[in-house]
Amino acid sequence: MSTLQDLYKLPLNQHKVLVANRGEIAIRIMRACAKLGLPFCAIYTAEDAASGHVRHAREHGGEKSLYRVSSYHDANELMAVADVAECTAVHPGYGFFAEDFRFARRVTKRDRKMIFIGPSWKIIRELGDKINTKRLARSLGVPTVPGSDRPIYDEVEAERIARSVFEFQEQQGIKRPLVLVKASAGGGGMGIEEVYDIDMFRSVYRRIRNYALRQFKDEGVLIEQRITDFNHLEVQIVSDRSGQHPVHFGTRNCSIQSTGLQKRIEVAPGFAPHNISYSFNAEKVLVDIVHYSLTMARKVGYDNVGTWEWIVTRNGDPFLMEVNTRIQVENGVSARISTVNNEGGVDLIAEQIRTGLGQPLGYGQEAIAFDGVGIEYRLIAEDPDNRFTPWVGRIERFSWQDQPWLTMLTHVPTDEPYEIPTEFDPNLALAIVWGKDLDEAKARGREFLDGLVLEGHNAAGDSLKSNVNFLRANTERILRF
Amino acid sequence: MIDISKLLDEIKASPYREIVISTPHTGVVTFGDLKVGDTVMGPQGQWKEKPGTRLATLERERNPKPILAPEKGEICLIHSELEGQFVEAGTPLMILRHMLTRAEVEHAILKKALHLFCAPERAKYYFIPEVEKKIRASDAHSVQVRDGMELLIMSRMKREVPLNYSGPDGVIYAIYFTINENMDAGAPLLGVCPQDQLPAIQDVIMRVQTEWTERG
Repeated sequence: MSTLQDLYKLPLNQHKVLVANRGEIAIRIMRACAKLGLPFCAIYTAEDAASGHVRHAREHGGEKSLYRVSSYHDANELMAVADVAECTAVHPGYGFFAEDFRFARRVTKRDRKMIFIGPSWKIIRELGDKINTKRLARSLGVPTVPGSDRPIYDEVEAERIARSVFEFQEQQGIKRPLVLVKASAGGGGMGIEEVYDIDMFRSVYRRIRNYALRQFKDEGVLIEQRITDFNHLEVQIVSDRSGQHPVHFGTRNCSIQSTGLQKRIEVAPGFAPHNISYSFNAEKVLVDIVHYSLTMARKVGYDNVGTWEWIVTRNGDPFLMEVNTRIQVENGVSARISTVNNEGGVDLIAEQIRTGLGQPLGYGQEAIAFDGVGIEYRLIAEDPDNRFTPWVGRIERFSWQDQPWLTMLTHVPTDEPYEIPTEFDPNLALAIVWGKDLDEAKARGREFLDGLVLEGHNAAGDSLKSNVNFLRANTERILRF
Repeated sequence: MIDISKLLDEIKASPYREIVISTPHTGVVTFGDLKVGDTVMGPQGQWKEKPGTRLATLERERNPKPILAPEKGEICLIHSELEGQFVEAGTPLMILRHMLTRAEVEHAILKKALHLFCAPERAKYYFIPEVEKKIRASDAHSVQVRDGMELLIMSRMKREVPLNYSGPDGVIYAIYFTINENMDAGAPLLGVCPQDQLPAIQDVIMRVQTEWTERG
């Protein structure tokens, strides 16, 4: 029986990767595998039979490369398929098991061991816990948001913390103090609500607690200061299994979000101090958050891709929000503006797989350079005029003009109608636009959105609602604070 | 009011239902020594505590999972070519021919007699916590519903919205949705019986109890 160390020594082409995810990210993982010369095996559920990732696996997969499972959430299904398909590694994508340390541990500790393509399970456990991350950050002098430093299960205690966070803000001279109540086990902007009055706190707390119990089977709730006037920045970290030499692939700005605090537009780099004037030293903020992120990555021996998420206030104060121990949806926008040894076409998912399987990264920070501005639009069937309610129905026409500066990532077929499944997030596609500077990127972004065709109908005959107008209207304020 | 005699006659003309037994998840399947034409039993006992006949075994991650007959019936097809193979989730294994029971006939007739409150969209449904508590404490019949009352939570794509009841006032007589399972748009969620029609509904139940004899 091979040990994990034996697996890390295998030549790349003797590996086979289980793609334990769906939709757009599954396709990107399969493409990255192909680029590295690796075979893969994909999975799907009954609801997803028409998804592009299933078709991609059928057309490009070899033997034993596609299995129908009962659920993406069932680890037993994934393990059973991995064994039958003779996989040596599991790529979790994002969502589902990506940040589940128990799953990562099981993959690497079971009888027939496999590599979990992500950080080691201990690191996921350490940083996946927002509270623990906060404590670690504080111990390294990295700034964090004021609030609870562990999940709260007790109503009286919750109210006491909320009261103290309100008082703290009043002392700071904040005119409209706000407290954020969020499901401790949540993520992706789900299960979060604001409270602006302590009298409202109890009912919001109960609602979030019940929601958390239903959705995540854990009623722990976090209570934090809600900083309203801020930009949401990220630092992309990449490191190999040695955990010794993490590098960064720059910063991203993800401030343009839906009312549910879900990202809609991501831009790399995080600010544009040469084009836009800020009320603070933006260049220094970017340098600082990169420095803080790398400090933490080195401290924990971070050994795969990861994202450090930051809040930057109008005064230019950065606060660490959380660490995402996985590849993110928006990794492509950072790759788009990056070069390694003066070569473009960087693929962070391929880098993740390659280093995850045990290869050394092979270059240092000095080899990485950045060029231009990247904008990523998330195309979603939803109604921005009605609190971003998801729209469900059938997509009948979906097309765009190909451009050398445009990358489209989608699992929605363009040559046949597609019924949007209701089981998952209603993301349809990611469009990554590149320009040599901010103005060119924005102009190209508008050109892309103007030429996009996205039409369909639901069961009641109403026509498709999408966020295209929202994306177009928000293109103007990209990177402005 | 509906014509119960007519309905019963219709059902009596074709008192069978075909049940396709499919794999709930992936795994290696082995069949027992059942053959076409054999009669199998569903769960039995006062509390259905005795499991049904074992139709097949599905082994995954070294856990053998018995696949049991959900109802009494006669086997009319076995996919025995799958013996010993790894199969995907949702693979059909067998077909049973099941004769409708009294409870099922009751259920079918009630669905026509009660006011059905249907799913407006394909989504997962939950009762709001207060109602859920009440149902757990006694039973669904104890819940009075009024037009416009907040009754359910509709969850779709991880987003939850409250859903108000609309229809005649009454008590919840039957619950047709299962928690954590998607209900299609238009699928009935609840059967509601207006207070004044309760005796009539009881009468329907009586008729089925006396007129429907279980066979086979």
